[in-house]
Amino acid sequence: MTTPTSAKESKMCNQPSSASAGFMEDFSPAAIKRGVYMDKINMPKRLSSSAARNHIGNMLFLLPTIILFSAVVLIPFIQGIPYSFTNWKSIVSEKREFIGLKNYVYLLKNKYFQESLVVTMKFTILYMLSSNFMGLLLALLIQRSSWFNNIARTVLFLPFTVSVTAGSIVWSYVFTDVYGTLTGLVSPLGMPGQIVYGMVIIGAWRDMGYTMLIYIAALQAVPRDYYEAATMDGAGKWRQFFNVTVPNIVPAFTTNITLLLAWGLRTFDMPMVVARNAKEGQFTAVYVYDSIFSNNKAGLGQAAAIILTIILVVLTQVVTRTLRRMEVEQ
Amino acid sequence: MMVSSTASSAPQSPLLDRHTRKKLSAAGQKILILLVMIIVVLPFYVAILYSFRAPGDISANRLAWPTNPTWQNYLRVIFENESFLTGYKNSLINTLPTVLLLMAITSLASWVLARHETPFYNFMYALLTLGLLIPFQCFELPLYINWYNAGLVSTNLGFIIARAGLQISISLTAVTGFIKTVPRDLEQAAMIDGCNRFQCFWRVVFPLMTPINVTQLVLNTLFIWNDYGTSIILLRKKQSFTLTLAQIIYFNENTSMLNEAFAFFIMAMIPILILYLCMQKYIVSGITAGAVKG
Repeated sequence: MTTPTSAKESKMCNQPSSASAGFMEDFSPAAIKRGVYMDKINMPKRLSSSAARNHIGNMLFLLPTIILFSAVVLIPFIQGIPYSFTNWKSIVSEKREFIGLKNYVYLLKNKYFQESLVVTMKFTILYMLSSNFMGLLLALLIQRSSWFNNIARTVLFLPFTVSVTAGSIVWSYVFTDVYGTLTGLVSPLGMPGQIVYGMVIIGAWRDMGYTMLIYIAALQAVPRDYYEAATMDGAGKWRQFFNVTVPNIVPAFTTNITLLLAWGLRTFDMPMVVARNAKEGQFTAVYVYDSIFSNNKAGLGQAAAIILTIILVVLTQVVTRTLRRMEVEQ
Repeated sequence: MMVSSTASSAPQSPLLDRHTRKKLSAAGQKILILLVMIIVVLPFYVAILYSFRAPGDISANRLAWPTNPTWQNYLRVIFENESFLTGYKNSLINTLPTVLLLMAITSLASWVLARHETPFYNFMYALLTLGLLIPFQCFELPLYINWYNAGLVSTNLGFIIARAGLQISISLTAVTGFIKTVPRDLEQAAMIDGCNRFQCFWRVVFPLMTPINVTQLVLNTLFIWNDYGTSIILLRKKQSFTLTLAQIIYFNENTSMLNEAFAFFIMAMIPILILYLCMQKYIVSGITAGAVKG
């Protein structure tokens, strides 16, 4: 092993390190000419120091994002967990005592909180199904590019660009002026028991354009020859849809279903604007807001928020896993 | 050829040949789409109608164009309602720096995260995208308290920091996904040519990221301009209200002046509608990127 060459190599590699050229760029042409580059590959110690330097550089690039994300999301999230075990009332008061799981026990038995969960789930499921159904239907009808279809896409996505709040308020007038005049019925937003359906319509109006775009992209990615082969085999339109289209767009289903589940469970803007005083407007997110900022039950509201988070994480994870397994199988 | 085609279509429909049926079904599809489009546009139409109606105009037909349309509602909102101009100013001051800040920091971070697949960087990626899972409600209380103690509640700066932080997870996923599709060759060539990390990023990587950065700028503008959930918690003084907050308060305070409230809505929508119509291509590519492959 102690050949003259390796001795020469180790001597060469010692030179730059003793000259503490550690922070020079390793891959510069000069360094390569000097053989520093080769030494790096041979010498594990030098390699690890350059890796560490790389690491510091990488962390410098990540740092602004990490700091901002910690300040806004991570630290408050961790801070919030202990609040949920206290009897903290008003956010301006200093008084805050540990009361264990009492908030959680109270919430799980509380009628209003249970109702808020039921109404949130009901809305979420109906909104997710209707937005996906409409999005897929529209995507199937206008998946090909033509001037008519392009205009249709532009128009159908339009509601997504408007704020939920303005859209909802305008809809409450559409329900009274148009729907009411045409059918002679009362606006669903004014009828207890129908408010959720009214909100589902507004939600689907806004977000079906979004699911549609994702379905169109998925449909366009299905190879044409799959359909040709299916036609040759004598498969009709419906069989083609279920045996060729559906299995090939499962990833789009995964995206749309999990996304809308998460959006539905977080719904806050719409009930705040169009169903503020109705019982059915008490979505869980609204319940949390009211407890903390209006009803002086900050600790309780924080516990409700944590229950909502657990439901959201568990539900979206279960749904994602299930749908992903379907993607792998086919 | 002729024989086979008539033979196959005959049992299904004796009256119409295949060509006519195909044309009819295409026409039916177009009519269906047109109907859906009408329903989708209806709320916009209703809002425009209201905004042009004179205050006393109560016509029998609520869908007819007003008999004597007027710009007065718009002029009143602009000149007599200070919450409108304040709201516009705040929305602009809050939105533009936020989207630029997001672009700067997420493009730096995403490059590192996309190019290193070691357990450490995978963990960092998972951590920074936790925002996709945790609902805002779960940390709105501690965030408000921290912001209150730092004197950031009801300030533009406080809103910008919070809103950028909240948007990080979504942006990071999109930008990292994009960089993974860009080959490394150019960066490696730059490194060998003696560029340091910052030169390599600024001269090579950042220009390559232009498509995703434009997409993110447009999409984030959409989300932040329309934000309500964060604004209602962090913006508590009238001078700090954004357009979204101002229009709801205006609406609730002036139910008797509906026409002006609708003129307010329309004017709040206009910048975002213009942005949408000009940048449509980028919005579509931003939404569909990565969604198809899963």
